[in-house]
Amino acid sequence: MGSKLKRYEKIEFLGEGQFATVYKAKDVETDNIVAVKKIKLGSREEAQDGINRTALREIKLLQELHHENLIGLLDVFGHMSNVSLVFDFMDTDLEVVIKDNTIILTTANIKSYVLQTLKGLEYLHLNWILHRDLKPNNLLVNAKGVLKIGDFGLAKMFGSPNRVNTHQVVTRWYRAPELLFGAKQYGTCIDIWAVGCILAELLLRAPMFPGESDLDQLTKIFGVFGNPTEEIWPGIKTLCDYIEFKTFPSIPLKSIFTAAGDDLLQLIESMLVLNPIARKSCTECLKMPFFSNKPAPTVGSKLPLPQSIRKIAEIERPSLKRKLLEGAEGGTLSKRLFV
Amino acid sequence: MKDVIDVMELQREKTRRINPVDYRQMEFKGGFTPARFIFECVHRFFKEVDHTSYDCFLIAASSLYLASKIKDDPLNIRDIINVAHNTLHRGSSPLEIGDEYWNMRDAIVQSELLIMRVLKFEVSTVHPHKYMLHYLKSMESWLGKETLENIPIAKLAAAFLQDFHHDPAVLDYSPQHIAISCISLSLQCYGVQLPLIEDLDDEAWYSVFVKDLQKDKHWEIMEKIMEVYNRENGN
Repeated sequence: MGSKLKRYEKIEFLGEGQFATVYKAKDVETDNIVAVKKIKLGSREEAQDGINRTALREIKLLQELHHENLIGLLDVFGHMSNVSLVFDFMDTDLEVVIKDNTIILTTANIKSYVLQTLKGLEYLHLNWILHRDLKPNNLLVNAKGVLKIGDFGLAKMFGSPNRVNTHQVVTRWYRAPELLFGAKQYGTCIDIWAVGCILAELLLRAPMFPGESDLDQLTKIFGVFGNPTEEIWPGIKTLCDYIEFKTFPSIPLKSIFTAAGDDLLQLIESMLVLNPIARKSCTECLKMPFFSNKPAPTVGSKLPLPQSIRKIAEIERPSLKRKLLEGAEGGTLSKRLFV
Repeated sequence: MKDVIDVMELQREKTRRINPVDYRQMEFKGGFTPARFIFECVHRFFKEVDHTSYDCFLIAASSLYLASKIKDDPLNIRDIINVAHNTLHRGSSPLEIGDEYWNMRDAIVQSELLIMRVLKFEVSTVHPHKYMLHYLKSMESWLGKETLENIPIAKLAAAFLQDFHHDPAVLDYSPQHIAISCISLSLQCYGVQLPLIEDLDDEAWYSVFVKDLQKDKHWEIMEKIMEVYNRENGN
């Protein structure tokens, strides 16, 4: 196992989370740049419960999943009492892109991001896996403009009717109303709601429903869509945390997203539906006119990059050969996007 | 923090222990799905390492712990320690929190990591159970619902499958083949004839489910399943 440790040469420290530290590293065997996530197991106190469950989920699920728009788990290795996961290296994420006010996001840019997200998510759902933590921060983007869904720490197989899930999933701002009402059995619709919120955030450049508590979250949601009733959402009153809210009138989405075209509004309306059953699936969303109408989604290489990465890209002027290679790859990508 | 014994917590733990894990549920139809993984895990582990170098009780306890996490059906490590301790010292009271407890806990956690490495971090296994369920479901209309309800074919097949997991040979065959063999052994035990099929020995009946199972291999697996019952008191 020592050889594995040498295989990945540490380049720089990228960040530290609750359970892991992440390094940028070079794979000396392939010369690829990778991200090594070292799961903390060090001290006795942390080691008490053994291998972290979130890490186990990532190992278990990602080993079987291979898709252009999902983060790739390239390798797993153990050293001493540590476990390290080797991932594709990604330059940035959508949260950085959204917050960078030097970037202008055109409809074509947004179309490209949402398209890639939905394609990755469609693959996940077809393989009976729920992501359960979609947010801009977990949608990773590399310098070539490829978006990959990352962080599978909360992901789970679904479809087994006798298994009860926890409703305490998904970062609050992206949490679907049924989860906020305490639903313990849910499906792919919770991920769709989150994508809807992310799409809205790409347009608004700010979170659509920045709730400060679970109740405030519901208030913000109903403030836009009006209150759910038994008519539009049969069975809502049977959810265990259901409570009656004061009545809100609904606001037309057109007045919130003033710059969005009708086809885009239609897409948002199909994803942000209060009744989870009525929410469209990934496959249905991908077939909506928004994706076939003009403008075409921006090709990966033309997608805007945040300031910090732009500078680095300028310093490392690519050689002509690499430019040609990248051009070729960009071509195949765009072809794939239009299919 | 954790090294200090919290008396209040201990008291609370005592009152909380009203709902112990029901290990009877570890049957095929029960809610505890990790059971099947444990066996595979232990067999795969001992396939790679020398039997005498590791304590099988420790590996079993760790596998149980690991399985519960992998199958998203988490068990408390305290419960696992209690079970392991009671297995080794029948009838004794639960282990007090002290050096022995912490050593055991450390050992379980450390060997969990070892198991993961020996398994090369490959933890998504395909079990025969799902195949068996669908084969039986398809046979419902073939055999007739009544026959399946009156004769416990499914129950026996499931029992064969569960018991076969005690034999490392469970790793040598594909999950589909194992599922078929358990079902046909069960059919033979009850002498059930499939409609429109002349002789049960014929491989014809399962060819609708699997194409690549030869007759002799089919018999080999069935024999292996029966062998399990001959060595109950042995290894």
